[in-house]
Amino acid sequence: MSLLRKDPIVGRWTIIATERARRPAAFVDPQSTVTERKDCSYCQDIDAPGVYESHGVKVINSSSPILDDSKPFERRGHGLYDVCHSYGSHEIVVETREHVANMADLSLDQIKTVMQTYALRMQTHSKNPFIEYVLAYKNYGVAAGSRNIGHARSQIMAVPVLPMRVKDKISGAQKYFDYHERCLFCDMVSQEIKNKERVVVENEHFVVIAPFASRFPFETWILPKGHHCDFVEGIVDSADSLAAIMKDILLRFKIGLNDPAYNYMIQSSPVKNPSSFKENYHWHIEVMPRLTRVAGFERGTGFYTCPIPPEMSASFLREVDIHART
Amino acid sequence: MPELRRDPVVGRWVIIDSDHTKGPSDFSKDDNTPTRQAICPFCPGREHQTPDEVDAVRPLKSLPNTSGWLVRTVPNKFPVLIPEGIIEKEGIGIYDQMTGIGAHEVLIEGPDHDKGLSELTKEEMQAVISQYQSRFRYLSQDSRFKYVVIFKNFGSSAGATVEHTHSQIIALPMVPKTVLEELKGAEHYHQYRGRCVFCDMIAQEYQDKERIVVENSSFLAFCPYAPRYAFEICIIPKAHGADFASSDEKTQAHLAQILQDVLKKIKKVLKNPSYNYYLHTAPIGYANLACYHWHIEIIPKLTRSVGFEWGTGLHIVPTFPQDAARFLRDA
Repeated sequence: MSLLRKDPIVGRWTIIATERARRPAAFVDPQSTVTERKDCSYCQDIDAPGVYESHGVKVINSSSPILDDSKPFERRGHGLYDVCHSYGSHEIVVETREHVANMADLSLDQIKTVMQTYALRMQTHSKNPFIEYVLAYKNYGVAAGSRNIGHARSQIMAVPVLPMRVKDKISGAQKYFDYHERCLFCDMVSQEIKNKERVVVENEHFVVIAPFASRFPFETWILPKGHHCDFVEGIVDSADSLAAIMKDILLRFKIGLNDPAYNYMIQSSPVKNPSSFKENYHWHIEVMPRLTRVAGFERGTGFYTCPIPPEMSASFLREVDIHART
Repeated sequence: MPELRRDPVVGRWVIIDSDHTKGPSDFSKDDNTPTRQAICPFCPGREHQTPDEVDAVRPLKSLPNTSGWLVRTVPNKFPVLIPEGIIEKEGIGIYDQMTGIGAHEVLIEGPDHDKGLSELTKEEMQAVISQYQSRFRYLSQDSRFKYVVIFKNFGSSAGATVEHTHSQIIALPMVPKTVLEELKGAEHYHQYRGRCVFCDMIAQEYQDKERIVVENSSFLAFCPYAPRYAFEICIIPKAHGADFASSDEKTQAHLAQILQDVLKKIKKVLKNPSYNYYLHTAPIGYANLACYHWHIEIIPKLTRSVGFEWGTGLHIVPTFPQDAARFLRDA
C-alpha cells in the first residue's frame, strides 16, 4: 500500500507509491546537448573580467538577465492586482577555468571557493535595501532547465519580494518553534541521525538525508548539524566540510544514477530582519536529480507522487561506490 | 520592461520576462500526432484489458465492459491511492504519515483512438463533462474523502503515458495544498471586503479586456494576470458558485463548449502542444462557500521548471498574458 507523508516544514503531503516502486534504471533522462570546449563561450571569455573573481571562480552578470537593477524599485497596484518591475540581479557563477561540465568532477578546493563565492555575493546583495531574498542555485542538464552542459556554472538571483516557497518554509518552521521552542531542522537532524535509514552520508558538520516526504526519487537535503539561519554565517567554519559533502553527493548521483540532470538550491533565511529568523530557521541545501516529470495532478494539487520510498533512495545512494571510477 | 506580478488569490509572485518574450512559435514542440497502437487497452473491444468499469455513458444501453460506450471510467491499473482499507494515521517523531487511501480512476473520453478531446462532437464532449460530474458526486459520498481532483495530462511532456484520450480522477483523504492556499487567500479577501476575489477578478478582466480569450453566456476564459506558465488559461463560471458538482445541465453544456473552444485554440496556436488541465472546486461538504469560486486551469507544457523556480516558487514566464490572450483570441 502506498503511504501519504507530510513534510513537517511546509505541510505538503507526498504520496510514496511503494506499489509502483521503480528501480533507478527505469528512469530515463532526456539527452542534454553537450557543448565542446571549442564552442564554449565561457572558455572563450575566461580572461574577461567579471563582477567578482577568486581562485578560478568568476561571477559575471547574466547576458540575458531576468532581473535588472538599473531602474529604481517601485511597487504599483492595478485594480486588485499588484505589480512591480522586475528589479534585482541575476548573476552566473563560472565555477572553474577548465572546461569541466559537472561540479562532481571539480576539486574540493574549487567547490569550496564556489560556496564561499555564493556567500560573498549573498552578503553584497543583502546590503541593497530593496532585496528581500537571494537564491544561489544550479541547473545541470536539460531536464533541470539548462539547455546544454559543458562548462560548470551556477546562478545567483537577488529578488525584491519574498517568494512563496520560502515563505512557506519559514512560516512552517516558525509555527514549530512557537510551539516547541526548538528548531524544527535541529530536531530533524537528530531524528534522522538516530534513525539512520534515510541518511545517505554524513561528516563532521553536515548530514545528507533523503527527506521523509520526498517529492522526487533520490531527492536529498544537505542539513548542517550546527544551527544557523543563514548560509553566509553558517559556512564560516565549515566550508571545507560542505565542499566535501557536496562533492560526495554529486558523485553518488553521477556514478549511481548515470550522470543525471540535477538542481540544487541553497535555502537560506531572508536577508531582511535577520534577527527574526535567528532561532527558528536553519539553512540547508536541496539537491535533486531530475528523473520524473511533473504532471497535471502535481500541478493542480501541489501533491507529489514519489515512485520510490526515500528509505530506498537513501540505501541506494549510500551503497554507491564513489571511489570506483569507470 | 520585465515585471513582477502578484496573484491576488494565493499571493504568489511571478516574473514576466519581457526582455526575452516568446511567441507561440518560439517554444520547442512535442510530436503529439497519434500513432495507431495495435494494443491500446482503451480502445473498444479491449474492455477486458482494463479493470472493471465503475461508470460509463452507454447511449444504447450496452452491457458494462463491452463496446458501445461514449465515455468509460475504470479504476487506474497502477493506482497511486487505493479505496480498500482504512485510514491509519501515525506519528513518527516529528513526522506524520497515513495509509494511502483514496481512489484513482481513468476516464476514457471517447472510443476513437485518433480523436482528441477537441475533436469530439458536441454530444460526446457533453458526455465527458457529465461523467466528470457523476464521478465527482459518487466519490464525494465516501466519508473518508475530503477532496476530488479531476485532471488531464495530454502529451508526453505533460506526463501522459497512454495516448488514447483520457482524464484522471483522484479522490484524496485531505484537501491538497494548492487548493488550501487558494481557499486561505480567498477567505482572507472575503473577510476584508465581503466579496469573492474570483468574482472581482472576473469584473476586472472585463474592464481590462486584454487578457480575455473567449467567453460564452456562462463562462469566461482568460489568461491570468500573474500566470505561472506561458499561455496559462483559466476557465471560470461567470456566476458565483463554489462547487462544480452543483452546476446544472445548461452550465455543463456551456462548459463543454468553452473547454473545447479553448483546447482548439491551444492546438492551433501552439501546434498541438502537450498540456495539463485540472479542476479546482470547493472541498467535499463545502459546496456553499461564499469566498470560493470553482474553475479550470489549463497549462500548455512549453517550458521546464529550473532550479530557481523549485527553490523559490517564483515562476519565470516568458510570455505576457495579454500577448498570449491575443494570439489565442485571434485563432
